[in-house]
Amino acid sequence: MKSSLRTALVSATAAVVFASSVWVLGAQEQGNGAQGGAAAAGRGQGGGRGRGRQAGPALPTPRLADGTVNFGRVPGEKGVWSVPYITNMGMQLVGDDGQPLPEIAQSRQQAAAARGAGGGGGRAAGGGGGGRGGSKSEPWMPWMPWSAAMYDYNSKNESKYDPEGYCLPPGGPRMMATPYQMEIIQMPEHNRIVMIFEGATHVWREIYMDGRKFPEGDLLNPTYLGYSIGRWEGKDTLVVENTGFNENSWLDYFGHPHTDKMFVTERWTRPSKQTLHYQATVNDPGAYTKPFTIAWDIPWRDGGELPEYICQENNRYLNRLEDDFGQPIFGPRVQPGIKPAGGTR
Amino acid sequence: MKSSMHAGMRLVLVLILAIAVPSIAGAQFGHPMKGQWSGEWGPKNSPNRLLLNLDWDGKEITGLINPGANQAVVKSVTFDYTNPTAWGVKITAEGKDAAGKPVAISVDGKLENLGAYTKLFHGTWIEGAKKGEFTVTRN
Repeated sequence: MKSSLRTALVSATAAVVFASSVWVLGAQEQGNGAQGGAAAAGRGQGGGRGRGRQAGPALPTPRLADGTVNFGRVPGEKGVWSVPYITNMGMQLVGDDGQPLPEIAQSRQQAAAARGAGGGGGRAAGGGGGGRGGSKSEPWMPWMPWSAAMYDYNSKNESKYDPEGYCLPPGGPRMMATPYQMEIIQMPEHNRIVMIFEGATHVWREIYMDGRKFPEGDLLNPTYLGYSIGRWEGKDTLVVENTGFNENSWLDYFGHPHTDKMFVTERWTRPSKQTLHYQATVNDPGAYTKPFTIAWDIPWRDGGELPEYICQENNRYLNRLEDDFGQPIFGPRVQPGIKPAGGTR
Repeated sequence: MKSSMHAGMRLVLVLILAIAVPSIAGAQFGHPMKGQWSGEWGPKNSPNRLLLNLDWDGKEITGLINPGANQAVVKSVTFDYTNPTAWGVKITAEGKDAAGKPVAISVDGKLENLGAYTKLFHGTWIEGAKKGEFTVTRN
């Protein structure tokens, strides 16, 4: 009960941090579904938020003049991608066939059954629903000892140090799991693609399509979103390779860590006008013993436009955030490194 | 007069930013041991300054203690994750004394405040025949 209360408080805080609108609240409700629903990682079976879901039959994939997929709007129409709230990427792993790992599917079924039986403990108890059971609840993750221990720590304190709560940008695949709207603008005449994000600190992402190589050495400046180089695989799949990430972000709200050694290979497809399928292979030899692949769908919100949202505005969460010793993280400290009387809490 | 007041205000603003910005810039959520740590060890009335410069290469922690002419090279770092909020950390390193003779360093401590910017590493520091308490925080 206490845990549930704390979880609720953290969720409420997140709502403030993420700007406190009906929009966000709606996103969180849907996010629960995206995380706990067995079909979240599947194809268009509830993986996204309801407000962006399209009813009716799948419409043909829009294409550019050269036949490649148009990941944006059709001329004369409006619309944006409604990014789902994926809180735990550990529950989004897929196999080579693109389907959820069998053990994850089974875990979700068990969680759903528990909820159906009135248990409701799937999430809070850290069971198959992708709850806060720490690293042991996700044995399929290729943990290193330190990354497992760090994940356990983040689970234990219920992600209070989530850098996204500080309004820092999400890194890597988390951009596609932060529940705001996003637009993809292709500029083939300039050999680049730009993604604009409403949330996640109002950032944009640039993908170079000019066949360049990654900068080497100090020329590759570590950043939140990394350095992105894209290419077409046939006319249906956009493959984007990313490296050069800094270590200022988590992979998700649940606190899967990553390092600056992370290399992410994304595969983007648009199987229908209403659905963007996102798949990312995370190869981080600094935190995980082998690569893993995650995937989910992002629904199209017909008629939508990007609103303005500034995470930093009135972020009161920061003012009362305390570290493990009860010291304010962003306010004045008694003395750095000195434990106040009373020790850890 | 007005100009000097503005200059003064700008100076104050720069100073505030200089203090505030590093706390953001220091964000590091990779391996919590990685980074630069500073503090001291030994008796409180005459402590020895410490600067640890540590890196994580995906297999082990490497680095230097007090980089410079009298630096010590880290030989091994092991972790005990039994306590999820206070990891046990043991470090062995090898430095040199004033005469240039090798000196073994043995560190046994706890890594706390793992998720915060100001991570804390503290415990017992043994350097040759000397022994004392140490505390370093991540810069």
